[in-house]
Amino acid sequence: MTKIISEDIFIVKKRNLKNDYYSLVLKPFSKIENCQPGQFVHLRIPSASIFFRRAFSLADTNAEKGTIEIIFKVFGRGTRILSSFRKSDYLNVLGPLGVPFKLPDKKEKVLIAAGGIGLPPLLYLVAEMVKKGYNPETIEFFYGGKTAADIIERNRIKKMKVNFHPVTEDGSFGEKGLITTPMEEMILENKAEKMKIYSCGPEGMLKAVNELGLKYGIEGQISLEAPMPCGIGLCLGCVVPLVKGGHARVCCDGPVFDIGEVVL
Amino acid sequence: MTPDLKVVIAGVEFSNPLMTASGCCGYGEELSEIFPLSKLGGLVTKSITLHPRLGHPTPRTAETSCGMLNAIGLANVGVDKFIAEKIPFLARQKTKIIVNVAGSTIKEYVEVCARLNDCEPIDMVELNISCPNVDEGGMEFGADPKMTEKSIRAVKKVFQRPLIAKLSPNVTSIVEIAQAAEQGGADVLSLINSLVGTAIDIDTWQPRLTNNKGGLTGPAIKPIALAMVDAVYSHCKLPIIGIGGIASAADVVEFMLCGATAVEIGTALFIQPDIPVKIAKDLKTYLKDKKLTSITNLIGKVRKYK
Repeated sequence: MTKIISEDIFIVKKRNLKNDYYSLVLKPFSKIENCQPGQFVHLRIPSASIFFRRAFSLADTNAEKGTIEIIFKVFGRGTRILSSFRKSDYLNVLGPLGVPFKLPDKKEKVLIAAGGIGLPPLLYLVAEMVKKGYNPETIEFFYGGKTAADIIERNRIKKMKVNFHPVTEDGSFGEKGLITTPMEEMILENKAEKMKIYSCGPEGMLKAVNELGLKYGIEGQISLEAPMPCGIGLCLGCVVPLVKGGHARVCCDGPVFDIGEVVL
Repeated sequence: MTPDLKVVIAGVEFSNPLMTASGCCGYGEELSEIFPLSKLGGLVTKSITLHPRLGHPTPRTAETSCGMLNAIGLANVGVDKFIAEKIPFLARQKTKIIVNVAGSTIKEYVEVCARLNDCEPIDMVELNISCPNVDEGGMEFGADPKMTEKSIRAVKKVFQRPLIAKLSPNVTSIVEIAQAAEQGGADVLSLINSLVGTAIDIDTWQPRLTNNKGGLTGPAIKPIALAMVDAVYSHCKLPIIGIGGIASAADVVEFMLCGATAVEIGTALFIQPDIPVKIAKDLKTYLKDKKLTSITNLIGKVRKYK
């Protein structure tokens, strides 16, 4: 039995979350039981001007309904065309791909560090933890964006009963500044507790979160983004340098890496 | 009767004419998770060099219209690690194993091929004398007929199995280079390698590749590759492996009609990794429709206008 297959998948629900942010719910996905938070799907967008597949982190899965969800922001040609697709349109999907997050111990305090469109894999991670019986009160959900318009799916986060800490650079929603400031305060206030960090977001934020983890000796994982022609480790187009030397492929050695593992 | 997809190249029998192109499936492990490699006639490895190489910094790939640019920079584990760690896996696969070899001096090509000669599971070596992405050699061998002949002759002395010369399209006359390779003792020709190209980001005014240029591959280059296969077939006796933008059974038929005995599939694997399985199936259907018993009936049978 092969672990990875490609198949056609239909859009069953499309939502315009806010401005350029969209959610697509897709089905049927035969490998749904294999999906884990941190993994991604590689979508072929049927358009003459798009050659490569595009990688999207899983934002949620529903095994009973056989659906997967992706959330994206219109950024370039691929996402612009994808945003024009409607219910009942189909795409070809390859996946699930990549290394998933390692779940924390149930006793640990969990610091989620989401930045901008780095939210989706962390939404899935937290939803899965809540489903598995983790106490949502031990989950501190830091979520940063440039302005209020970049903080999407607020009700969905609140419904999970986690401690929600929105942060915007212009102060238009939540605390003003960057998420690493309140995160560092949280770390200092809870020095006695064992903690884990999970993060996905823009490169600058990941770098700061990575340094925070190293500074206070807190383990954790970060999910990287990279243009991926193949998504399955064939082309070597998406490599990142490792601290121990050599390269890792973001698509199949990642996209999830331990804090301190890659050179950012 | 099921049509026969078997082809024979330089005395080596391939179960079908479909191979992977170098640099498009590493050393085979990842692709074997998608489909059994026995579905391939042959597997061509990523270029192997004497010493390990990390390749160029990213970005080292870029999307173009109907194709891609790459400047990976021959990232590979080096010949010693390849033999120790990759060959055992490849030896277990029920497909022909072709090792692509790159170098920056004739001495380096010879040294790598001498070591591969002692490695029994290897069926053939494909000499990459045409990589556009390294400064020190590669393409400069393949752009000069004398250097082409000299490097092939030197490798033939140390490698006793069939040798494929992989030709560059970035030359004035590919026929001249093909004839030089034949003169040097090559057993097979494979063509074409990628075409030199680039793309610029109009916001940053920087090239989309840190190497500033790269190799163009994918469907965009197929018509050029076909014309070159046709030209070489008319002027050389050696069997040809066609390469360039192959993504369907129809593409394979075109290359074979122009004179290719087999083909290598490259960039298409990045978009649809199980494409060789579909192509093999579609080829059988095509042959059945055309009432042909063997795929070899296609080779060089293009009906040209007078």
